[in-house]
Amino acid sequence: MGERILDVKDLVIHYETDEEVVEAVNKINLTLERGEILGLVGETGAGKTTTALGIMRLLPDKVGHVIQGHILFEGEDLLGKSEREMRSIRGKKISMIFQDPMTALNPVKTVGDQIAEVVELHNHCSKAEALKRAQEMLAMVGIVPERYREYPHQFSGGMKQRIVIAIALACEPDLLIADEPTTALDVTIQAQILDMMRKLQRENGTSMILITHDLGVVAEMCDHCAVMYAGEIVEFGRTEQVFDNPKHPYTQALYQSIPSLDKDVHRLHVIPGMVCDPSNLPEHCSFCDRCTKKNENCAKHDPWIVDVEKGHYAKCFQYTPEWEGSAAAAGEE
Amino acid sequence: MEKNLLEVKNLKKYFSTPHGLLHAVDNVTFNIEKGKTIGIVGESGCGKSTLGKTLMRLHTPTSGQVLYKGTDIASMPIKEFKKNYRSHIQMIFQDPYASLDPRMSVLQLVEEPIRVNNRKLSRAEVSSKAREMMELVGLAKRLENSYPHELDGGRRQRIGIARALSLNPEFIVCDEPVSALDVSIQAQILNLLQDLQEQRGLTYMFITHDMSVVKHISDDIAVMYLGQMIEKCPADEIFRDTIHPYSQALLSAIPIPDVHARHDRMVLKGELTSPINPKPCCRFAARCPYATDKCRAEEPMLRELKPNHQVACHYAEKFVK
Amino acid sequence: MSKMHTPAMEKIEKKNAKRKKPLNPTPAYESWKRFRRNPTATIGLIVVAALILVAIFAPLIAPYDFQTQDYAAMMQKPSAQHLFGTDQFGRDIFSRCIYGARYSLIIALFCTIAAFFSGGLLGIIAGYFGGKVDTVIMRIMDIFQAIPMIMMAMCIVAVLGNGIPQLVAAIMFASMPTMARNNRAAILRVRGNDYIESSEAIGCNQFQLILKHMIPNAVGVMIIYFVGFLAVSIMMMSSMSYIGVGLAAPTPEWGLILNDGKSYLTSAPYMMLFPALMIMITCFAFNLMGDGLRDAFDPKLK
Repeated sequence: MGERILDVKDLVIHYETDEEVVEAVNKINLTLERGEILGLVGETGAGKTTTALGIMRLLPDKVGHVIQGHILFEGEDLLGKSEREMRSIRGKKISMIFQDPMTALNPVKTVGDQIAEVVELHNHCSKAEALKRAQEMLAMVGIVPERYREYPHQFSGGMKQRIVIAIALACEPDLLIADEPTTALDVTIQAQILDMMRKLQRENGTSMILITHDLGVVAEMCDHCAVMYAGEIVEFGRTEQVFDNPKHPYTQALYQSIPSLDKDVHRLHVIPGMVCDPSNLPEHCSFCDRCTKKNENCAKHDPWIVDVEKGHYAKCFQYTPEWEGSAAAAGEE
Repeated sequence: MEKNLLEVKNLKKYFSTPHGLLHAVDNVTFNIEKGKTIGIVGESGCGKSTLGKTLMRLHTPTSGQVLYKGTDIASMPIKEFKKNYRSHIQMIFQDPYASLDPRMSVLQLVEEPIRVNNRKLSRAEVSSKAREMMELVGLAKRLENSYPHELDGGRRQRIGIARALSLNPEFIVCDEPVSALDVSIQAQILNLLQDLQEQRGLTYMFITHDMSVVKHISDDIAVMYLGQMIEKCPADEIFRDTIHPYSQALLSAIPIPDVHARHDRMVLKGELTSPINPKPCCRFAARCPYATDKCRAEEPMLRELKPNHQVACHYAEKFVK
Repeated sequence: MSKMHTPAMEKIEKKNAKRKKPLNPTPAYESWKRFRRNPTATIGLIVVAALILVAIFAPLIAPYDFQTQDYAAMMQKPSAQHLFGTDQFGRDIFSRCIYGARYSLIIALFCTIAAFFSGGLLGIIAGYFGGKVDTVIMRIMDIFQAIPMIMMAMCIVAVLGNGIPQLVAAIMFASMPTMARNNRAAILRVRGNDYIESSEAIGCNQFQLILKHMIPNAVGVMIIYFVGFLAVSIMMMSSMSYIGVGLAAPTPEWGLILNDGKSYLTSAPYMMLFPALMIMITCFAFNLMGDGLRDAFDPKLK
């Protein structure tokens, strides 16, 4: 067991507007060990990005609220930090890569300056040293260092994403949160970027949270994997456990609905119905209406997280058949 | 040739840009049989969408022929095309968020094609036909008065499909219809498209960048690179017997949702450039790991290597398994 | 029903319980909701509405006639009888400002409508057809813009004399280029959307495309420009009247009242203060309303 770098406990995040309260993240628990990659998978609106923004303390002002929970980073609760302390953590200890590389870069500054800026800010070094570091970073992500004097528009989409990654990694953060880093890119470019990220991760030992909707990317990159549905983590485990032996009906159904390259099926498996309205979540299992394996408990109570095998958890009543009996008291609590 | 619904011959679409002539679609030739699906795969900027829009006459082709049931629809005046062929060839658009007018309700959106193409129908007839179409694509009647922004991606794409189908087309260009959707929704839409094809004998041209989707839905697959078709073969063959180095790289780049399939990829260097004033050489030569001087000097033509399997590579024989 | 209950949820539940039936959220209704939620915009709307009422009921509100000269009460300071004081002919400035609202609002409306139907239409045509049509129209607009507005107004006044139609024409010509450019941009923005192509694909002709899709989607932005232009027109009109190329003397137009007071700036500053305030408040209100409309119609544009 390595050292635990991030420990999210019972995190609840709501978006509150005049019209509605969106329950974006509901009591999630996550752990990440140093040097590992955790994949956060789920469909649009499952709360993946909100979780990441919550950890970064970058939820939109006034609207996004952390209702309860703890985010322990290297043993300290990030939720207790002041905005000033957070600023020195962001970029230096935790970095984030956003989905769209086109908007993440400042178009009127050279890429070298943009990398150097972060280094200067956090390492308190001279401009010259920072620029030197910027060139090193460019070389590391596979861009000729001499191009540090060029502007973002002179680079292609894949190159821009490399630069964004270079900025994120410039201060050697302990934790990198990558929010769909390759979704906007073509497959051959995605392959390049993923390859590079894996190489960097191995060399620097950075811990990483990789947010994606692509199960393929998770299978290739991650050590652990958490499947999110309607703001909850419905399944968590080592990637092999989750992929070889999916336990939650949602994960199973998701797996079956992807067209496969090597098997021929005439019709794809479909998950019936649709995701429930996040501003009006049921008190019982959120997936129950679409589930093929539901029993009478599912529409009455919210299931809790069960240890299905060592280090592999699923939030489903299937694995607690004795529910009505002894566990009832614990469930009501 | 009766069985070919559409024959595309040497189709070209060039755009003039400030930097020169952009060869978006360059000398593309292929046939589509009636009732079949041809999948067009390629990365962004390879001209696959332009190809679709050129067949639809949303772009005017620069040169070449498009024979629809034997009539050349590429060179006929646009007025004549609109009058006689518009309803035969329809299109489903990529982004269901952007391709629906936000100020129209679901019913209005589905009514629109019926109304503009059948001036004689009364309001009630138009509405009842639109409701029929909604039912066909699985849109509940209660959604009639909703607006696109209230619906999820899958339902919006169903509206797009209903709009295209309401004109009773025989040929539908599907331009990345599921790329913007989540996997579970994607499966619903793919199944719907398949069902409609079986019921109505539709012919599809399915444009996408997703190899697994294209394999699932297509009978034939054509791979495009920088405006040219570089490989075309039956769908199951492209995965068993990939010949063109680019197709190989494209396949090897797909992340496979299986932990035990972690493999060494063939990672291509560089990126797709835009085909502005291309030199007469193999357009893939700059990124191809096997490129020789011949590749950089001479443009390979699409040639039949095996029955129904065409490749544009000088050294194609070398890569046959 | 929810996973967790928070005070914010209870508040909304209470609010929803009060509402009898859910309203159909048409795009127009959503815009109105966004507008109403914006306090500054609402203030702007209220002030504008008040000004319109003042203009309509001017004869009832104004205590005196706007041109009756009262030599017994010349140059009086603001008092209970004369709220804004009187001018050098003993005319009540308050009444003149009240009647001024009539002139300013109506003329501004005419100017904006005229500019909208000349410049705006040209802009829509240029934006839709593009290419050579676009180039020709926009270059003509550029030429128009190169002529200083005041000079054009002076030429018109020199040829045709002072008067409302001349003033409207001058302002219209001066505003046409901007109006054309704005509307062209609005159409171009809508035109780039996929749904235009989608409608073209199902067989809509150009006429249907413009009328059914482009204008309804661009109308929000156009209203924003329209309201913004009302403020600009009021400013232009006042400054032209002030320098004497706008309306003729006895008319109670705010710019003219300002002009009347300018010789007495040191001895009777109130003569300029009140009409200036009226101009300022009006323009400010229109601008607030315009900003609110922009946020309401175009939440992404901020």
